[in-house]
Amino acid sequence: MSITNLAAKPRPPATAIDILNNDTARLYTHIHPILVLSLYAFQFRSIVADPVPALTSTLIPLSILQVAYVALCLPPTGTAVPTEKKKPGEKKKQAPGKLESGVNGKIIPAFLSLVLSALAATPLVTVTLILFGAPISTHHAHTVLCGAHLSLLAILPLVFVHGVDGQTWRETVALLLPIDEVYGGMIGTFLGAWLGAVPIPLDWDREWQKWPVTIVTGAYIGYVVGKLMGGTLLKGRKIMFD
Amino acid sequence: MARKTVFLALANLLIPVAMMVFATGFFPYKPFMPGLATYEELGWRDTMGWKDVPAAPFDKVVFMVVDALRSDFVFGDQSGMRFVQSLIRDGTALPFTAHATSPTITMPRVKAITTGSIPSFLDVILNFAESDTSSTLATQDTWLAQLKAKQGGKLVMYGDDTWLKLFPDFFARADGTSSFFVSDFTEVDDNVTRHVPEELLNSDWNAMILHYLGLDHIGHKAGPRSPNMIPKQIEMDNMVRTIYDAIDNEDHHENTLFVLCGDHGMNDGGNHGGSAPGETSPALVFMSPKLKKITEFMDRKSPVDPKGEFEYYRKIEQNDIAPTLAGLMGFPVPRNNLGVFVEEFLHFWDDGADRIQLLLRNARQVKKIVEATHPGLSFSDEVQEMDCEKSLTDGETLACKWQRVVQIMSSVATIHPKMRFLHEAQETMSSTASNYDVSRLVLGTSLGFVSFILAFLALPPLTPITSTGIFYTATLILYSILMFASSYVEEEHNFWYWATSAWYFYLFIRASRKEWQSTFLFHPAIMLLFLHRIIRRWNQTGQKYAGAPDIVHSGIFSGSNSVVLWTLVGATYMDVTLRLSRHVARSIATFDDSTKAPADDDDATDANRFLATLAVLPLGATAFVFKLAFTALDAPELTAGINIGLLQWIVGVSLVDMARMVFGGLVLSGVWIAFADWKRARGRRGRKGRGDLAVALFDLLTVLLITQTKAHNIPLFLIFRTQFFFLSLLSLSPAALTLTTLLTTQTAFFALSNTNALSSLSLSTAYNGLSTYSPLPVATLLFLCNWAGPIYWTLAPLLLLGAHGTSPRNVAVGELDARDWIREEREHVLGLARKETQAEARRKGWTAWREHVARLTVGQAAAGTAVMGACAVMRAHLFVWSVFSPKFLYAGAWAVGWHLGVGGMGGAVVWGAGML
Repeated sequence: MSITNLAAKPRPPATAIDILNNDTARLYTHIHPILVLSLYAFQFRSIVADPVPALTSTLIPLSILQVAYVALCLPPTGTAVPTEKKKPGEKKKQAPGKLESGVNGKIIPAFLSLVLSALAATPLVTVTLILFGAPISTHHAHTVLCGAHLSLLAILPLVFVHGVDGQTWRETVALLLPIDEVYGGMIGTFLGAWLGAVPIPLDWDREWQKWPVTIVTGAYIGYVVGKLMGGTLLKGRKIMFD
Repeated sequence: MARKTVFLALANLLIPVAMMVFATGFFPYKPFMPGLATYEELGWRDTMGWKDVPAAPFDKVVFMVVDALRSDFVFGDQSGMRFVQSLIRDGTALPFTAHATSPTITMPRVKAITTGSIPSFLDVILNFAESDTSSTLATQDTWLAQLKAKQGGKLVMYGDDTWLKLFPDFFARADGTSSFFVSDFTEVDDNVTRHVPEELLNSDWNAMILHYLGLDHIGHKAGPRSPNMIPKQIEMDNMVRTIYDAIDNEDHHENTLFVLCGDHGMNDGGNHGGSAPGETSPALVFMSPKLKKITEFMDRKSPVDPKGEFEYYRKIEQNDIAPTLAGLMGFPVPRNNLGVFVEEFLHFWDDGADRIQLLLRNARQVKKIVEATHPGLSFSDEVQEMDCEKSLTDGETLACKWQRVVQIMSSVATIHPKMRFLHEAQETMSSTASNYDVSRLVLGTSLGFVSFILAFLALPPLTPITSTGIFYTATLILYSILMFASSYVEEEHNFWYWATSAWYFYLFIRASRKEWQSTFLFHPAIMLLFLHRIIRRWNQTGQKYAGAPDIVHSGIFSGSNSVVLWTLVGATYMDVTLRLSRHVARSIATFDDSTKAPADDDDATDANRFLATLAVLPLGATAFVFKLAFTALDAPELTAGINIGLLQWIVGVSLVDMARMVFGGLVLSGVWIAFADWKRARGRRGRKGRGDLAVALFDLLTVLLITQTKAHNIPLFLIFRTQFFFLSLLSLSPAALTLTTLLTTQTAFFALSNTNALSSLSLSTAYNGLSTYSPLPVATLLFLCNWAGPIYWTLAPLLLLGAHGTSPRNVAVGELDARDWIREEREHVLGLARKETQAEARRKGWTAWREHVARLTVGQAAAGTAVMGACAVMRAHLFVWSVFSPKFLYAGAWAVGWHLGVGGMGGAVVWGAGML
């Protein structure tokens, strides 16, 4: 059934996302993870002390950072055709004004992906967290906020570069896309969050072992590592299963 | 091929050998000194001028043990034992907290109390293999033996039959009660109490031992804060009053000492076995009107606040009871005693020489054990030069302390050096750290590693490297590392739950790479993950969050809601009964003459099926009624919503007979189906069968496992069955099935509320169908009862590996059209046909099974080696007895019982049956 669907709509194979070919993008893509980690490190103490308000207030600067990152560094969905492939001398038919193209082409998609990842992805990620063992009868706000952080880190850039195309998202879940810094960031976030559960049962009696601090910490570290690896070492590779 | 089989067999043989070697080094069988102690020549007769043994103030003892009597149950301000507290205020009772060493379970504790020794961890195993004669104390020196050996010595005993097992033929009169149903709060105690008034009138005994179990039962059932707890304490308090009044008033009890003590305490969950403060702090009270003499100048406040956790009054060691009784009642200190005479009682003797003599006798007796443990050191009675300034080993410190005793004895005799020597000796000898046979630990671990290498060599070719292989390897490596963390041993379930979740999600990702299911959210792998999420919340286990809310204790099953539970239980029984009826229908069809060709596997007629259901229904119904009746006795709160008249009728039937009917029915059905399937296979004349017999054995085994599972866990088997169904939709590779086996067996073990602590071992169904104790059946039933989940998940994946019992589509491959428009469909059908042929080929030979076992053996050997390594490295760790030793015992049960017994032998039977 699905096979025939595939055959009916032949698609070009997905390619790795390159960051925009300008100096700001090249610079900011390296500053961004530092800023994200610094933000988290700065908030860490208050998150440990009282997770719900601290995680809620951290969402705003995180959103700003992520929106800034995608707007500055990433090609919005539909424009992912690499610029190098343009023939020399060829020009776009209509070159809109710089400000206008900036707002239409970047800022609006960036905010759209923020809204989508916050409203659509957060519930899905939260349900996944619960399936993986997050508490279901208590700590509701904790888990939802954890899901929100994961969504903003992992899903927002993906929505920005891939849009809402169902087939691409299926490939995303199936780990079929070639690795780039956006996809690497997503995989890193979720792997990090999963590994973040390991310290919880230890008998160290530390305050930070409480739900969901380790998960969120794992996600932030995983995001930065995944983004770095995806943008450099593993770029363009595909995940092979067998 | 043959070479690999040899490697595999060797690896599996080595696993138990390695474990045994390790165990002998880890739990050294402590040599004990045989024979009864006698009063010996003491020395320093000239300087001290002592002639006789100090006169004993008491000649009789009433020794009342209340199981799990934690210190705060007597001394705390919430206690119901007001009478005992009033005696403390009067000065006729002397209270202590008696520190009990781990393992805090009854038998080793009774050993410590009576012999004064520190029982080895081996006693725990012997506790469950109670018939072992070497574990009885009949030949050992105890205060019971000493009292019996006295002139006119006669012992009586009422209560826990552990005493009768430990002291066979010791008691002139006895009535033992066994703790069969934990829900029994009253009868076990009434059975003791009814003998007491009568026995108090007798004057022919010199020791009466009472052991009450009710309080422990309340703890196990509902924890220390159960509403039944205070009434039970008041009941015990009244018993104390009865006995104390008799001692106070009766002439023949003039010199009777009354001891009230707990054998161990309990933790906040009401369980015991480990070394939490609550578990190791039982109460100990000595009572007699004569005690006024020594309590005169003592602080006699009661109730008091604890100093530490559960530490009321002075904390002494539990094995101090033995030498203290020896001094107070006038008999030699038992030979293997490591306890110290309780200082407070020295004031009974006005003459200083008597006090010194008592302690010196105690010290001499302990010195003998120390001497035997450290043969190279000097413990002579001569004053000699000794270098005690350098850094000393434990033995040398003791030698120095003894030398100090000798020096003081030759000049001015005081009691302090003896006290110092005794306490030091007690502490040193109690810590078994010096007793490990390290070379055996290393040898055992190395053998485990060799077994791992052999199993590794027996693996099928490893290339190409698959993600499943990586997942399996990563799981084993991480598990091996985590075994070195004490908290992860306690919380091991978290690791398996975590890894299994990831595995199911991985299966989802992998399946969605091939084709996108329209049933996205209801994808089999997602359903597996969802069911797994329910399973892991079914029972809260582990130590860190013990007592946290879970499904079983949420109240949806207990009280008037028990109908919910019994509906689910009923559905589980119904499901498995219907499955069995299908097998029986097949067997009837085999012998049904009206069916002409009995070769086809789906030939059962409606009449056959109807007959089969009728035939199987009694078995299923008996099993269900048995479960209901058993639960009505074992956990009455789970049957509260059931009609009382029905329950009364059910409970009237003998449980033993019903269990035997179920077991007998299972065996009969098994034999019948096997015979029919064998006949059918012969009639098939070379054509291939579906391996139905393997499925039949599996279904029969499921009934057995459910019978051995507590009612509130039975719905889990319905969930397991559903998971099994979803797994069958995923068409997993053989290696993936091995990994699934590993993860699901471990998950199921912990989900059925097991932990790596001995306190969680469930004994309740170990006597199903048995009226008396006999080691092998009890051990088997005990294993089935605690490993029911793992057994289910060891055999279930085998049926997936060989696709047993599935109806083949028998696709005629040659007739498929090769035209383009159905190419996809053609490939799909070809794939199905290929899978069928593969599974059938697997089913027909031993290769697939051998490879599966090889992979499992790698896992088992790695896990076993890791646990042994962890125990060897952590042997000086604070938690070695409470965390690592129990884990090693569990690892042994996994290796021998589960891996070799269930996986090896059981698996071979099922796989072999599938070849028919």
